[in-house]
Amino acid sequence: MDGTETFQFSALVVVGLLVFFYGGSFWMSTRIGKKDENADGYMTGGNNIGFGMSAASMTATWIWAASMYASATSGYTYGISGPIHYGLWGALMILFIYPFGKRIRSVAPKAHTLAEVMYARHGRSSQLMLAGSNVVGSLISLMSNFIAGGVLISLLSPFNFVQGVFAVAAGTLLYAVWSGFRASVLTDFVQVLAMLGAVVVIVPVIFFASGFPAAFETGAHQLTAQQGDFFSSEAFMNQGAPYIAAVLAYAIGNQTIAQRLFAVKESLIKPTFITATIGYGAMVIGVGMLGVLALYLGYDPGSDLNNLIPGMAATYLPPALLALFFIMIIGALSSTADADLCALSSITMTDFYGQAAAGKEKANPRTMLLVGRITMVVATAAAVAFASMRLSILDLLVFVGALWGALVFPVLASFYWEKVTSKAFTSSVIAALVVFLPVRFGWIPTDGAFGIFVDVVSVIGIGVVLGLMTFGFFGIKAAKVVGVLAAVLAAPFAIGHLHEHATLCGSLVAYAVSTVVCWAMSVRSGKTFDFSVIAQRTGDFDDASAHAAAVSADDGDNGGDGGDDGKAGVPQQAVSTDERPASAASAK
Amino acid sequence: MNTLALSVYILIWPVIVAGVLYTICRGFVREWLEARRKGQRLI
Repeated sequence: MDGTETFQFSALVVVGLLVFFYGGSFWMSTRIGKKDENADGYMTGGNNIGFGMSAASMTATWIWAASMYASATSGYTYGISGPIHYGLWGALMILFIYPFGKRIRSVAPKAHTLAEVMYARHGRSSQLMLAGSNVVGSLISLMSNFIAGGVLISLLSPFNFVQGVFAVAAGTLLYAVWSGFRASVLTDFVQVLAMLGAVVVIVPVIFFASGFPAAFETGAHQLTAQQGDFFSSEAFMNQGAPYIAAVLAYAIGNQTIAQRLFAVKESLIKPTFITATIGYGAMVIGVGMLGVLALYLGYDPGSDLNNLIPGMAATYLPPALLALFFIMIIGALSSTADADLCALSSITMTDFYGQAAAGKEKANPRTMLLVGRITMVVATAAAVAFASMRLSILDLLVFVGALWGALVFPVLASFYWEKVTSKAFTSSVIAALVVFLPVRFGWIPTDGAFGIFVDVVSVIGIGVVLGLMTFGFFGIKAAKVVGVLAAVLAAPFAIGHLHEHATLCGSLVAYAVSTVVCWAMSVRSGKTFDFSVIAQRTGDFDDASAHAAAVSADDGDNGGDGGDDGKAGVPQQAVSTDERPASAASAK
Repeated sequence: MNTLALSVYILIWPVIVAGVLYTICRGFVREWLEARRKGQRLI
C-alpha cells in the first residue's frame, strides 16, 4: 500500500481550521489578559495553579508533534514493542523528576527558572550553563514544532511548507505574547482536551477501518521475528535504552517542565506529575500503535517516515475526523511551541535581565515584561528563519541532550548536598562534555583500548542513572545499592560490546564523568551551604515584600559556596547549617 | 500474541487516555467552581 499520495483539504477549509484553532486560543487569552500584567504571573502564573490546569499543561507541553511521529516510527520500525520503548520512557521522564521537583520546590518555592536557582546556589557560571542549554533546547524545540506544522499543512493542503511554518508561528505568538505563561496554561487545557479526545476517537476508528483485528493474521508475514517479539532486544537497545539514559537529562534540562513545577500549587505536585505521566504515556503509545498497524498492513509511507501518521489518517479517516486529526497535531505542536516561548521569555526575564543585567533588587517588573515579550517575538522570528532553511536539528539535539546529561548529577546534587561547590559543578560539566564528544561522534576509534575504556565508563554511567532514579524515591542508601548492583550486573554484558552503541554510550559517559568529577571535587571540599538562602534569593520580582527580603538577604550574611563572581545576589559565605532542612544532608 | 491479545494491546491506550481526560476535566471543573464561589481568578 502506498501512502505517499494523500487526501488534501481545500485552502478554505485549512484556513478555517487554523482560524478556528488560533482564533479560539487568542480569544481565550484575551479573557484572562490584564492591562497591567504581573512579571511573576507572566512567568509562573503566581505559583498557585490548580491540579486540572497544571496536569493538562504538563501533558500538553510534553507531547509535541515529533513525539507522536517518532512513536509511530518506532512502532513501524521495531514492531509491537516499539511505541512502548518510545512512549513509556518519555512518560517516565515526568515521573522520575517529580521527587526531585518536590525537593527543588521546597528550597525555591517562588523561583522562575532552574538556572535562577543555580545562581542562588553557586553563582554565575552554573546559571549560564543551565540557562544557555535551556535556550538552545527551547529554540530547537520551537523550530521543530514549526517544521512539523509546515510539513503537516503542506501535506494536507494546497499551501506550501514555508506558508505553513508562518501560519503556525504567527498563530502561536498571537495568543502567547501578551499574557505569557498564563495564556499558555489556559490554552493548554483546551488543547489537551482536543488532543486526548482525538486519540480516544481516532485510534479505534483507524483500527477497525483498516481491517483489524483480521489484519493481524493476514499481515503477520510483514513482521520480522524481532518486530513480532514484545521483548525485542533490537527495540530495547536501539530505542529504549538511549531513552532510559535520557530520562533524567531531558527533564532536568527542559525549562518548560521546570516552569510548570514552579507554577503548580506545591501540595499538588505529586498528582499533577503522575497524571501527566499517565496521560503522556497513553497518548503517545496510543498514537504510536498506528505505526504498528501500518507495519501489519504493509503500508508504504514513502521516503519520509514522518508521513506515516498523516498518511494513515488521510487514508482511513473520513474528512470530519481528518479535520479532528489536523487539530490534534496543530494542538500538540502549538502547546509545546507556546511553552517554549514562555520558557525562553522566563530565562531572559529572570536570568539575563533580572539576575544579571539589572540585579534582583533593581529589576523593574515592567521592563521585565517588555524583555519577555520582545524575547517571544525574536525567538519566533529566529525559529521561523531556521525552520524555513530546513536545517538538520539532529546534531544540535544530540549535543544539547549530552549537555543536559552532563548537568544532571551536578544540578541534583546541588539541591541535596551542601558540599557541592561552584568549581566542582563547572569542572564536572566541562569534563563530561570533553569525554562525550569523541565518544558520540566517533572521533577516536573504539575498536581498541579506548573502546574498553568507554565501556567501563558507560557501566559506571548505568549505575549513576539507575542510582539517581532510585535516590529520588527511596533515598541515598537504596540508591547506592541499586547503583552498584546495576553496574556490577551490567559489566559482564556491557564491557566489550557497549561502545558499538554510540548514542547510548555518549549519554552514559556524560553522566558518569560529571558524577565522578563532581563527587571527587566536592567530597573533601569542607564547604557548607544554608539551603534556606535559596528561597530568599529567588522570590517574586513584583512583590514588594519579597523584593525587600531579597535586598536584605543580599546585604546580609547568607550562605553560599563562594560563587564565581561577587555581584549582588551571589551567595558568598556559609554561616550555618543548623537551619538546613533535614533532607538537605541526607545525600552526603 | 494472539489476535485478541493484540487487539486489547492496541485499544487499551485510548481507554487509558479517556480516563486521564476525565480526571483532568473533573479537576478543572472543581477548581473552576471553587474559584467562582470565592470570586477569584482561575489563573
